[in-house]
Amino acid sequence: MLSRSAQGVYWMARYLARAGYLSRLLELQVQFLVDRSVEEIHFGWKRIYRCMKRLPPPGEQFLPETDEFALADAFTLADDLTFERSNPDSVWSAVASGRENARQMRHCISGEMWTTLNAAWLRIRDLEAVDIWRTPEVFYARTRSEIHNFVGVADATMYRGAAWRFMRLGRAIERAQLAVSLLLAQIDLSRRTERRTLGWASMLRTHHALEAYGRVYGIDLKPDRVLDLLVADPSLPGSVLATVQAAATELQGLDGGPGVEADAAARRLAGRAEALILYDWPEASAPEELLEQVGQSTRDLHEAVLDAFVDYAIEDSPLR
Amino acid sequence: MDFSRYEFDPAIHDEMFVAEGEPRDHCRAVYEALRDLPDGDLNTIQERVTRSFSQEGITFTVYGDEEAEERIIPIDCVPRLLALAEWRELEAGLVQRIRTLNLFLADVYGDCRVVRDGVIPADVILGCPQYRLAMRGVGVPNDVWVTICGTDIVRTHEGFMVLEDNLRVPSGVSYMIANRKAVKAGLRLLYRRSRVQDVEQYGSLLRQTLCELSPGGRPDPCLVLLTPGTYNSAFYEHMFLAHEIGAELVEGQDLLVNDGFVYMRTTTGLRRVDVIYRRVDDDFLDPLVFREDSLLGVPGLMNAFKRGNVALANAPGTGVADDKSVYAYVPDMVRYYLGEEPLLQNVETHLCRRPEDLEYTLDNLEHLVVKRVGESGGYGMLVGPHSTPEERDEYARTLRADPADFVSQPTLALSRSPCLIDGHAEPRHVDLRPFVLTGNETRIVPGAFCRVALRRGSLVVNSSQGGGGKDLWVVDL
Repeated sequence: MLSRSAQGVYWMARYLARAGYLSRLLELQVQFLVDRSVEEIHFGWKRIYRCMKRLPPPGEQFLPETDEFALADAFTLADDLTFERSNPDSVWSAVASGRENARQMRHCISGEMWTTLNAAWLRIRDLEAVDIWRTPEVFYARTRSEIHNFVGVADATMYRGAAWRFMRLGRAIERAQLAVSLLLAQIDLSRRTERRTLGWASMLRTHHALEAYGRVYGIDLKPDRVLDLLVADPSLPGSVLATVQAAATELQGLDGGPGVEADAAARRLAGRAEALILYDWPEASAPEELLEQVGQSTRDLHEAVLDAFVDYAIEDSPLR
Repeated sequence: MDFSRYEFDPAIHDEMFVAEGEPRDHCRAVYEALRDLPDGDLNTIQERVTRSFSQEGITFTVYGDEEAEERIIPIDCVPRLLALAEWRELEAGLVQRIRTLNLFLADVYGDCRVVRDGVIPADVILGCPQYRLAMRGVGVPNDVWVTICGTDIVRTHEGFMVLEDNLRVPSGVSYMIANRKAVKAGLRLLYRRSRVQDVEQYGSLLRQTLCELSPGGRPDPCLVLLTPGTYNSAFYEHMFLAHEIGAELVEGQDLLVNDGFVYMRTTTGLRRVDVIYRRVDDDFLDPLVFREDSLLGVPGLMNAFKRGNVALANAPGTGVADDKSVYAYVPDMVRYYLGEEPLLQNVETHLCRRPEDLEYTLDNLEHLVVKRVGESGGYGMLVGPHSTPEERDEYARTLRADPADFVSQPTLALSRSPCLIDGHAEPRHVDLRPFVLTGNETRIVPGAFCRVALRRGSLVVNSSQGGGGKDLWVVDL
């Protein structure tokens, strides 16, 4: 497969995974606006911004943590995270970038995937925050569902060739990085509050893991157990372990890249991230340190993948 | 569909009617079916056709001051009909013309007999900016210089005429197929009953044609489509065609030349490329030979091409044969190379480089269409009958300053075809662009990108200037 096409499909998947993840975070956050305490609402915003590695809009920052400001604040913050064109990670920008990559690589994906994605894009293209603000959770739920739908259509229709592997690899790496980033934000923020359980239930909901938690641990919510489930349960599709394992699987399915050293490094990094969770996690005394290591491995993995398959030196390459 | 307000004009060839309310034989069934459709049905179909273009993302990109905008070409859902017999006549003319033009190209980059025998003045060819000295003495596979050609054909009471040959990187074929797909879905029963000739095999014919160019007949050649990139207004078409012919869609940066062979960067290493369907103009193909500042091309590509290690479709330098001055000589070329009378007529053309033609043009500006030799897309031209005296004075000044840069033609009464305008039928001027493929043999699918001037009274069909598209049905009725 053409290297640039592989790169396009990889980025398409990353952007769409980002849009889907952020939509899910915002879907829950705007639900909180209706019935949660101001403290919890602010906690939620801070966690999202931390996860996305972004500062809230300048000048606004966070308004005083009083009830009157909670909603006014929310509109500005949701707008910044959802429709702000200059924010490359806003839902709008991520869908736009995902769709633009798909447009350029349409010949590498199925026609059904393209029309599914294009329809989602046409729906949100001209929207602004005021258009969704009466029922924002409906907008976020729909966006998330459209991206799930895209993934499902891909599963049902896309040829299982190299493009499929690169797409899945992009999705897995993005999801692993986002999950690690959100977990680190949660650990750090929850340490700074009096309420030890603050935010942990919504961590489960973000990852569609509430039912799974109940099944494994019962109804008693304990942060350590939530953390265990979200990091190390291979049966939970959004867990860090499941996503790094998915990345390793896709990598194994690809023929070796012409950048030989980078290719070996990529395979090592994927294995290392998986091993850290499988073997070191159960005894880790400082979970955030280990999560930092996993996060760094996935960032290095991203670089190694591009060096192995896309930006390799010509002299490394065999001629066919 | 309401035809009651249709303004039939006996002075203009009408594609559907021979007289007021009297359809041509091959149009009768379709006319009656359209006429009997309940009010509003066709509007619904029209909306569906337009919506399908938007949903499928069949767009072209327009760049404004601030941001790029994806637009769709407006499509009129009422098909234009051509009888199979008429098509056969047109097809024979197209085949004759492309044979001639390929012989002409081999000649002007070879012995130049056509000049030595006095058929065409040397300065017409050497003065043409599209004449590529780099191609002198270069042979091309199977002597096919023009693999893909999109001839612009117009029709008047006098029959079909060639308006332009478009031998460089003609576009629009994706619209032929997209229009067909959308209109067929809207007019299902009518389509089936009308025994319309199929066009959707274009992709496989193109693939077959390109494979025939494979250097040294290498089996199962690696094809790529070279695009200038996503910012090109025809990018949709490049993507569409790459998909249709099973080629990788590449940009210049994806290719490199090593030891006289062309390779593309793939995820498993460098892979040799055999045939390049290039949608990049000559100027930008190879910065070592043509424009040095080109970032779109591939350094060394021309060397690989000249060594016969890669095929380019179309070959570089074909633009000399569709130059607006050279165009005027095509009927003479047919007689010269083939010893036959031309089956397709040219539009009468005055070359302003000749003093008598310049004088005639200046004296008759209000009746003529004047074009710049090097322009295309409907730019830089004067449509005399639609111009003001001030515009003509201004144009005459530029014309006198550089007469060789201009040609003039009579304003043609382009044929008209019914369109759905504001809920009822109105006539609009149309042309058609069939696509002619030449490999070991010449292949033409029975259809064309039919362009329509949607503005009332307008003769300009270019999509950049208010034109739209229509489906063309070649019917066996």
